[in-house]
Amino acid sequence: MSPTWRKTLSYGSRYVLLFAAGFVMVYPFLFMISTSFKSRSLALGDPTNLWPTSPTLDNYRQVLGTANFGRYFINSAVVALVSTALIVLLSSMMAYAFARLDFPGKRVLFTVIIVGLTIPTMMLIIPQFLLARDLHLLNSLPGLVPFYVGTALAFNTFLLSGFFRQIPRELDEAMMIDGAGPWRRYWDLAMPLSKPAVGTVIIFSFLGTWDEFAWALTVLNDVDKRTLPIAIALFQGQHSTSWGLVFAASLIAIVPVLAVYILFQRNFVAGLTTGALKH
Amino acid sequence: MSTPQSTVAPPRTAGLGSRRPRHRVATAGRRRAILAAYTFVLPGFALYVLVMIYPAIQTLLLSFRDWNIAPGMASPWVGLENYSRAFKDPVFVDALANAAAYTAFTVPLQILIGLGLAVLLDAKLPGRVAFRVLFYLPVVTSWVVVSLLFQYIFSSGDGLANHVVVDMLRLAPENVSWFQERWSGLFAIAVLGTWKGIGWAMLIFLAALTAVPVELKEAAQLDGANAPQRFRYVSMPAIRSALSVVFILLFIGGFNVFISVLLMTGGGPGNATQVPLTYMYQQAFKFLDFGYGSAISFTLTMVVLAASALQYAWSRRKMED
Amino acid sequence: MKYRKSGGAVIAAVAAVALAACSSSSPQVTQPTVSAGAQELTGTVTYWHAYSADSPEVATLEGTIIPAFEKLHPGVTVNDVPIPYDELHQKLITAAAGEQLPDLVRADIGWVPELANLGVLEPLSTSMPDFKTYSAQVYPGTLATNLWKGTYYGLPLDTNTRVLLYDASLFEKAGVAVPTTVDELMAAAPALKKAGAFAFADNGAGGWNMLPWIWSAGGAITDDGVTKASGYLNSAASVKGVQNLVDMYKAGYMPDIILGDSGGLATSDGLATDKYATILDGPWMYPIFASQYPDFTVSASQVPAGPGGSVSVVGGEDIVMTQSSKNKAAATEFMRYLLSEESQLAMAKIGQMPVLSNLGPQLASINAYYSQFVEQLQTAKPRPPTPAWSQIDSIMQDEIRAAIRGDKTVQQALDEAASQADALLAQFN
Repeated sequence: MSPTWRKTLSYGSRYVLLFAAGFVMVYPFLFMISTSFKSRSLALGDPTNLWPTSPTLDNYRQVLGTANFGRYFINSAVVALVSTALIVLLSSMMAYAFARLDFPGKRVLFTVIIVGLTIPTMMLIIPQFLLARDLHLLNSLPGLVPFYVGTALAFNTFLLSGFFRQIPRELDEAMMIDGAGPWRRYWDLAMPLSKPAVGTVIIFSFLGTWDEFAWALTVLNDVDKRTLPIAIALFQGQHSTSWGLVFAASLIAIVPVLAVYILFQRNFVAGLTTGALKH
Repeated sequence: MSTPQSTVAPPRTAGLGSRRPRHRVATAGRRRAILAAYTFVLPGFALYVLVMIYPAIQTLLLSFRDWNIAPGMASPWVGLENYSRAFKDPVFVDALANAAAYTAFTVPLQILIGLGLAVLLDAKLPGRVAFRVLFYLPVVTSWVVVSLLFQYIFSSGDGLANHVVVDMLRLAPENVSWFQERWSGLFAIAVLGTWKGIGWAMLIFLAALTAVPVELKEAAQLDGANAPQRFRYVSMPAIRSALSVVFILLFIGGFNVFISVLLMTGGGPGNATQVPLTYMYQQAFKFLDFGYGSAISFTLTMVVLAASALQYAWSRRKMED
Repeated sequence: MKYRKSGGAVIAAVAAVALAACSSSSPQVTQPTVSAGAQELTGTVTYWHAYSADSPEVATLEGTIIPAFEKLHPGVTVNDVPIPYDELHQKLITAAAGEQLPDLVRADIGWVPELANLGVLEPLSTSMPDFKTYSAQVYPGTLATNLWKGTYYGLPLDTNTRVLLYDASLFEKAGVAVPTTVDELMAAAPALKKAGAFAFADNGAGGWNMLPWIWSAGGAITDDGVTKASGYLNSAASVKGVQNLVDMYKAGYMPDIILGDSGGLATSDGLATDKYATILDGPWMYPIFASQYPDFTVSASQVPAGPGGSVSVVGGEDIVMTQSSKNKAAATEFMRYLLSEESQLAMAKIGQMPVLSNLGPQLASINAYYSQFVEQLQTAKPRPPTPAWSQIDSIMQDEIRAAIRGDKTVQQALDEAASQADALLAQFN
């Protein structure tokens, strides 16, 4: 019976740790949910009291009934989807080139990418604004995409190049002997084998572009072009804020992000590379 | 590593800037390969340069002027005056120290806990999807919301933090006013940063762990290795690269902390919890001193670059053996 | 057709001047009329403001005011753009740098000198022919916030001030009368402490917090020309004003949220829960108390008086027009409409105090609680209108907090603040 005992203990201790950590992680979130069902929420109540005394759906009704809310949701979705797709494509291409291809200036270009990681985007707002103005990309939703993609490339390229380097070179070489050019090696070998890494990029990119606030607010003026984070920020007043309203709106906004996460974390399953070595 | 050579073209000596002795032959095939490599790199790189590097250079140039944002007005050249002012500015120096302390606190914790959780969730545990979602929730919650909640947790009255510190752990005799002092305020902000970043680090480690081929683990198990040994000899080498990536990114992120400080304390009280980017924001957008704000940003960038370059070179050397 | 348009405008301008010349000495309240020139107004007017989503303010603006204006001027469309308040200043700065400003902005009164100094605002006192008609109708304190280097760059839109809000039940319990002077407040403090409350609470040490005390003590920040602070900010009267608060804090009659209120008990929450006896706050608190603490009755009275009287600080917003506006005629007309009685009264109903001084007596019938604010506004003063104010405010905040903590004396703190302020003010003179 000993191995089963050990297995139960191992499982048991894991679950204890996971539950403890999970509780700490999720508690503020639970408080957020609880407040979103409160009717009077100008001041946050006692954090240890999670169950609202008279729960109401009013906050959600108000948020969903706000003029243009559906519009903002769709705006955010389109921008986020397009940006994420482009980020994945461009950063994986660059990462593959840095990890597996050889070309003059490779070290220089990679250094420029690393340097970009350290630049805080907050301080670039005015030059970027002037650039957007000169490119006639102001006050336009498609105009957000080049900026979102461009500012995310350094991070994601860096992330993916680390993962691509881990792919055994023998596999690359095997394909090259078969006459495969870099495109086929990238598309048929590196990308499929890097599903976890690519999944990570998708998750982070979608979250980043969905939640982006400062640049979208600076550039967009027309009310019907706005994105969701701006709409949520508008629920905050100058002198007082109904936090239940803000939390309800935030929770609605979290749903797509969680959906993307749940969808792509399925990639984080061991065994994807099974059989690759046997080629 | 061998590169496929075209059997037609005669070999030539090392060309096209490549330094590795094995690439001695420059052929049409080689040129095609280089062209292909550029098509991989240049589209993304060009966009990146346009949207990030070009504005960054403009900001750098701006830092050498007493920049006036009004389009028509003059912006006199002041050379390195903004930078020498930054070095002599006690608020900026303290801000750098605060950012360093924040980084020193949050980075190791996020790596350790994130890695630990990733290891726990890598195994085939029933309900693991639910836990993965649970740990990711802090990452997706907006900063505005979590800052508000953490202000409540660290409230000067009978908040949760005081309950733990005073009543449970008995580390302090009476309720702490967390946000009235520099180090307790930074501590609260650092706890928030760690809490919010653990899921992020966990995600990257999870991706790295699941990339380890199962056969390697099985082979090790057949050889008689137990779980900690399997982890040490099979999983760890695989995630070393992820470790280095996560460390650099968290390090940079730590020094560039901004929104949480802005929302929690605004840099106060009296510049005590100021970090370089909140100070930059105040100088540039509140006081309209963009030249100085840019100088602050670039000084921060240089500090972070120097530190991460060192770390990167060190890790590359370790990886290449 | 161009000639007819400008001809109509000329007739209207002449008529306005003639009317103004014939008017009696007391300011006329201009009713929005469709003058001959106004019918020709067309185009879009873009108006940036910070009313939050789903608020009564934006509902009144979009549901009542703009439709009424568009009915009077069918050729004009007013496009109002709400921007979150915390980000409006940054967006204005960025837009100014990129020359992408709208036609009209509802700007915080503190931003007007700064924007005027950047050269992006239209100098209304010189370019608007009937400026004096409107400037004469508003409270002088509110108008002064638009002044920069001798020219007015905007008109007040809505105003507010701080009055003493207090918890009547606490004073009953302590057995003391509600204080009308600073000395009375300090005398009542021990009894209030016995009743379990702080005598006074505030959440900062900047101009908005300190100025009522400094001014009521007879002090000042700068000279009238806003050229220097030494001799004013650190005058004996100013020092006394701040010293009163420091003394109260040291004696334990004020909570430490004055040093920074993150994580502390907010002033409104403390007042409603009998922990704070008095606070200084604005008219927006009434709907907040009604919603959050329906069982609590808040009372109001004037700011505790000192040798300088009972002087409070003016807050509010101004309406400004940008130089880059492509539709100045229509924008100006909308500005006039926002300052009409019907507009101002519509906003008054939902908590935005009007700037038209002759509406003062009516306000108490709209919202009973307005009466104390109207009275306080008679003597309330604005913070010094200078682009350097943001920095000076920050310096005052730091120095006065140091004095409150006991790191330095009040005189030292204000001396230091004054000398730094001098250097900053010198940049603009």
